[in-house]
Amino acid sequence: FSCFVRTAEPLEYHRSFLKENCRPDGRELGEFRPTTLNTGSINTADGSALVRIGNTTVICGIKGELAAPSTDAPDKGYIVPNVDLPPLCSSRFRPGPPGEQAQAASQFIADVIDGSQIIKKEDLCIEKSKLCWVLYCDIMCLDYDGNLLDACVVTLLAALRNTQLPTVTINKETDLAEVDIQHKRHLQINKHPVASSFAVFDDTVIIVDPTAEEESLATAIITAVTDEDEQLCAFHKPGGSSLSAEKLQDCITRAVARHREIGRLIDKVFHAPAPEF
Amino acid sequence: MAGLELLSDQGYRLDGRRAAELRKVQARMGVFAQADGSAYIEQGNTRALAVVYGPHEVRGSRSKTLHDRAVINCQYSMATFSTAERKRRPHGDRKSSEMSLHLKQTFEAAVLTQLYPRSQIDIYVKILQSDGGNYSACVNAATLALVDAGIPMRDYVCACTAGFVEDTPLADLCHAEESGGGTTLALALLPRSENIALVQMDARLHQDHLDALMEAAMMACKGLSKVLDSVVRQHLQEVSVLTRE
Repeated sequence: FSCFVRTAEPLEYHRSFLKENCRPDGRELGEFRPTTLNTGSINTADGSALVRIGNTTVICGIKGELAAPSTDAPDKGYIVPNVDLPPLCSSRFRPGPPGEQAQAASQFIADVIDGSQIIKKEDLCIEKSKLCWVLYCDIMCLDYDGNLLDACVVTLLAALRNTQLPTVTINKETDLAEVDIQHKRHLQINKHPVASSFAVFDDTVIIVDPTAEEESLATAIITAVTDEDEQLCAFHKPGGSSLSAEKLQDCITRAVARHREIGRLIDKVFHAPAPEF
Repeated sequence: MAGLELLSDQGYRLDGRRAAELRKVQARMGVFAQADGSAYIEQGNTRALAVVYGPHEVRGSRSKTLHDRAVINCQYSMATFSTAERKRRPHGDRKSSEMSLHLKQTFEAAVLTQLYPRSQIDIYVKILQSDGGNYSACVNAATLALVDAGIPMRDYVCACTAGFVEDTPLADLCHAEESGGGTTLALALLPRSENIALVQMDARLHQDHLDALMEAAMMACKGLSKVLDSVVRQHLQEVSVLTRE
């Protein structure tokens, strides 16, 4: 019988669980779904990572290209993020040009990169005013089940840590770039931002890590991005029901705790000994 | 000819395979929760993902609805990081549109569309890593995804590429072999009835060699069909164990 209630009256179905301080999939209000991370699986990309938060699966591929720096920032490289929500990740997305959710997510990731200084753009400069790296970060959702932004930030961070770029030198005589594929270096990651998303139900109850169903029933969505120094890098509350500053502070506290969880996961993945075949 | 030798004197190819040897195939079904059917396949270094939604009501223009069978809608795209050079236009370019059309026509031959009139079946394929045989990997992944979605088909659709070097047909070409300038033939086969769903070859080939080339491609497809069959059976076993508990 409960499956009929879920389809016919989804809000009542979720409310009945929230009254007991839990959610339909058995989680507590402040509990995140199990998160798994896998890096370096795409050989054609300079760096890659795949993250799964519950059913939401997002992959990120980083490709570095060479370009001339712009005249107003001659000692800075470029980081170009792009979030793609293809129709294969969910039936709510149609084929065609990027929809507003994809564009908004791309802009959010661009803001997080700039705001948190995850990579210093000066590190991407090879020779001032002549040559710099352009990092194309292509984030693609493969399975959409809510909480896209958290997954995007984690996968971007892991992919950047996994990225290895060849050393490039400029030949003084010919003034051409020489790429040495044999000697690759990892990127210098400055800060490690981690995002946490929350959904608000009925203007009062705040739940963490909403699924797609919960997102569609929520009255507001909040995303907080923190880094390892417990500094707030970004805070998004695009409209929705109004909340007191106290409640928002609780969200930030939970986000800081989530940062530690993700930090441990990333360290485990990157420091795990290579499997022996 | 100078440069890379596609087939050495001892009979070994660039990656150490024999002439008729296929690349290692690893496949998984049911990888995504949102989709009705999904599959992931690795053929050597080529990785493809296929996702099936349907059968459902026709979305978009109602005029596409067919009164007696289902419409198959296919979309092929490559991830921007799938090729050595970053792909600037992952979908919408001519090659992708051509591939999408070929996939649609291939599956119209295999899926029992008469069972679902006035509905639509969406097949989305994405190449995550490209190393030759993109079309074949897509067809194989889409076959598994359709099986995972429970959509009835006449037979498995298996696809493989074949090439020709100095009177020896090669099976399952990688990117270096495809772009080496030799002949490439792509074949999609329904193995049990040995009916061919699609054949494509764009190169110069002496007509005496055509039979040998087709034969090599068909043998490769039959080998692949055995692999796909074992993947499906294993997946069913795993799922039945889980549902029993």
